[in-house]
Amino acid sequence: MSYKIPMGPYHPALEEPYKLDLICEGETVSDAKLHIGFNFRGIEHLAETRNYIQVIALMERVCGICSNIHTLTLCQAMEKLTGQTPPPRALYIRTIMAELERLHSHVLWAGIAAKLMGFKTMFMTCFELREKVMDILQAISGNRVNYSMNKIGGVNRDIDDPLAVLKMVEALEAEMGRTVIPIFTTSSTARSRCAGIGVLTHEKAVSCGVVGPTARASGVAQDLRRAAPYAAYAEMEFSTPVEQAGDVRARLLVRALEIMESCHILRQALSKLPPGELDAGDVKLVFATGTATSRVEAPRGEVMYSVSWKENSRTPRRVHVRTPTFANMPAIRWMVLGARLADTPLIQASIDPCYSCTDR
Amino acid sequence: MISLEEISMQLGTADAWIESRGAYWLAATELNVRDVARVMSAVHARFITITAYQQPDEDGFRLEYHWDLDGRLLGFAFSVSGNSIDSIYDICEGVDWIEREVHEGFGVDFLGREYEPLLMREGDTLGVNLREVSK
Repeated sequence: MSYKIPMGPYHPALEEPYKLDLICEGETVSDAKLHIGFNFRGIEHLAETRNYIQVIALMERVCGICSNIHTLTLCQAMEKLTGQTPPPRALYIRTIMAELERLHSHVLWAGIAAKLMGFKTMFMTCFELREKVMDILQAISGNRVNYSMNKIGGVNRDIDDPLAVLKMVEALEAEMGRTVIPIFTTSSTARSRCAGIGVLTHEKAVSCGVVGPTARASGVAQDLRRAAPYAAYAEMEFSTPVEQAGDVRARLLVRALEIMESCHILRQALSKLPPGELDAGDVKLVFATGTATSRVEAPRGEVMYSVSWKENSRTPRRVHVRTPTFANMPAIRWMVLGARLADTPLIQASIDPCYSCTDR
Repeated sequence: MISLEEISMQLGTADAWIESRGAYWLAATELNVRDVARVMSAVHARFITITAYQQPDEDGFRLEYHWDLDGRLLGFAFSVSGNSIDSIYDICEGVDWIEREVHEGFGVDFLGREYEPLLMREGDTLGVNLREVSK
């Protein structure tokens, strides 16, 4: 006999509200339906009423974790409309902020995944490490969530003491390599809760068009930092971890390895930070009529902005945001098919979903 | 890596691609959205999103479809004179949610598919979130 279990929109296993109707045969999930929209704030519509300065602050609030990525993508699109080119130092600072944000996001996710695995000590360890990344972000920007770093044609703040940041990154990397990575990759608890669970096959990952670590854990080797470099990524050496299994463990491994790659990128960017200006200077911004697009590899995958401007206007005609979770969430339906009911919270968490981003 | 000219050939158009502000656009007006989706699927391009624009003076919509092909962003724009356009959901699974979002936000109908509520709840009015109702 099949029965339906509604999970959410408010549920202890969910960090933000959304609803999953699970159709079960006994303890086995046979189908699932997803419902979103509980965080809908009409941000795209609001953007049409904000000028080119206000809209940056607005779009920073699309997401509470990868706020910097949203302003970066938006500013890159607006730079294409205004013909602005950020100076090299600003591009490096953008790269550093983007990688710090990836670290912060991946470590936060690792903590939540550990909690859902029943691995509370690991949860505490991850959140302690996350605090260190937050401290670095605060030291650079003065803020812990919305950093206000990006502007059209550059960045708002400098990194005055790159060596101090480098020291913090090295300490973080050492702790990651000493505790988090070995435990996640070798512990029997992590293996038993994650291996073979929530499989997304390579074929399904391709047909659903999933992005980021979710795609890379199913053998889809896509990374915009390499395929379509932005900021200073063309000058960085790094590898893109790819796993083939497509299960929760593969998604965990990909993120764990990406943490180390982020540290590697940060060390390069901080040591090579070029001197110079932070922006293009005091110039009158003239927006071309038409549309510009920009894409960035956020911690959860590709973010794309389409920004359209009206003639002689201070406000955009349209700002459309395609967030990574919007692309990844439909795949949850395929991941939970055949799974045990008890595994579904961890399977959902394994794509590192952000419902605020998804609903906008 | 497949060239853009080969894609034009598969689409049966001689029109040139135009690189503009982050994307390569094929401005062929005679293209059909389902033919484009079939060719994009055949060359293993990854669907990204649809961006809908309401045309001034209640004159329909402009829908911009984007695919990624080996790091290149490909754009195809379609004008919708009424409120409907063919769905490509049966060709491209990844389009499901964005077709539902555009349907709910702008009231555009994607023909040949069924909808379940995505951002809205059952019985909510379509086209109130992003569509301009008066100027």
